[in-house]
Amino acid sequence: MARPTPLSSLRARVRARFSDPSRRRGLLIAFEGPDGSGKTTQRKLFKTWLQSEGHDVVTTKWNSSDLIKPLVKSRKALHALSPTEFSLLHASDFRHRVESIILPALWTGRTVIADRFLFTGLARDVPRGLDLDWVLNLYPPLLWPDIVFYFSVSPATSGLRVTTTRVPNFYEAGQDVTDVDDPVESYHRFIGRVIREYESLALIFNFVTIDAERSIREQHEELRRLFRESEQRAWSDWNVDAVAEWLSRRNGTA
Amino acid sequence: MSARPSLIAVDGASGPALITAARRLTPKQESIRRVSRWDASGLFEQLVMAGDDISTVSPRLLLLLYAADLAFRLRWEIEPALAEGHTVVAAPYVDTAIAFGRACGLPMKWLRSLFLFARKPSRRHRIAGAPATSRAEAGFIEFGCAHRTPLDGRELGARTRDYLRTGRGSGGRGRLRRR
Repeated sequence: MARPTPLSSLRARVRARFSDPSRRRGLLIAFEGPDGSGKTTQRKLFKTWLQSEGHDVVTTKWNSSDLIKPLVKSRKALHALSPTEFSLLHASDFRHRVESIILPALWTGRTVIADRFLFTGLARDVPRGLDLDWVLNLYPPLLWPDIVFYFSVSPATSGLRVTTTRVPNFYEAGQDVTDVDDPVESYHRFIGRVIREYESLALIFNFVTIDAERSIREQHEELRRLFRESEQRAWSDWNVDAVAEWLSRRNGTA
Repeated sequence: MSARPSLIAVDGASGPALITAARRLTPKQESIRRVSRWDASGLFEQLVMAGDDISTVSPRLLLLLYAADLAFRLRWEIEPALAEGHTVVAAPYVDTAIAFGRACGLPMKWLRSLFLFARKPSRRHRIAGAPATSRAEAGFIEFGCAHRTPLDGRELGARTRDYLRTGRGSGGRGRLRRR
């Protein structure tokens, strides 16, 4: 068996790769916000624009791992998840996508747009009664996005946009913790807690807040402007461990 | 009915040896005891049945899934049985997973934090034995060894066993709790 490459050499390799000025670095951009904040619409418009600017773009969505999503889906259908299991399974889904989609794309210079990132786990799990530190500690080695766009709306706007078009599902409505039978009423109660958590996270993790009460066009133009302002930012060395750990496994199994 | 319901954690690298030990601790005539085994939630079975390629699943992901399964076991098997006054044998419990994680080189801080939700056992047993080579009654360690890390399965199994035996792995600092 080949001897694994020491982590220190892998870290050096990672730094060299992402700090190379001759190579166009792929960016990691996260879109966060409560349901009904319009972030999916903005994500699609933004992706099209980025591609027109010459970026090779990969999109990844929350709870979409081909391996883990079926496990979550079948348990959600039975309303069989406790908050702890809900949190652990979503962290599993995220971990799988980090390893199979996000890091491989960034390594090859592609830009990744994440429609929801680990902050969604925090914003939904803490209102379910879980400890913020415990939930955050499910996600190391942490991979920090270059930019987190946070689409801010009031609980009333989120409630209106979601419940006028459809009935929220059991977990989206927080019915596992509100004990309210009516999904619409439960959603209105639960989303306020989620948004309060998001507002705290926006301060702690320095999100770029977008006023999502405005028109689609205004938001999109602001996204372009904010992106251009931060496009040239240096690669964050906080991410070195996440990439080095992934690289060590890739080398070991290749 | 037991006067003092308790949780007995039985950990080890060999799935069949854990099952044997759990049986030994729960004689048939003693109805007050319950056994909680790995994958009661069916998460790992569903992964395998789906037929997806899971050879590239990382140790971290395996451990997150193990933790999700353990949360299920605690909610549906262990806590209800304890509440009814039974003694519960959990085979495996937390230490098996931590030993596997340490054998894979994962940080003790992350592993300890991951399992903070798990109730502390009243007693701990460590069961000697290498991971089984047959698929029958294979446990979590056999599953983990079969589905790869940078180490080959045999070396990983040996490291896990060593870690459970000594409480110290070759991967650096961090010890399992002593009985």
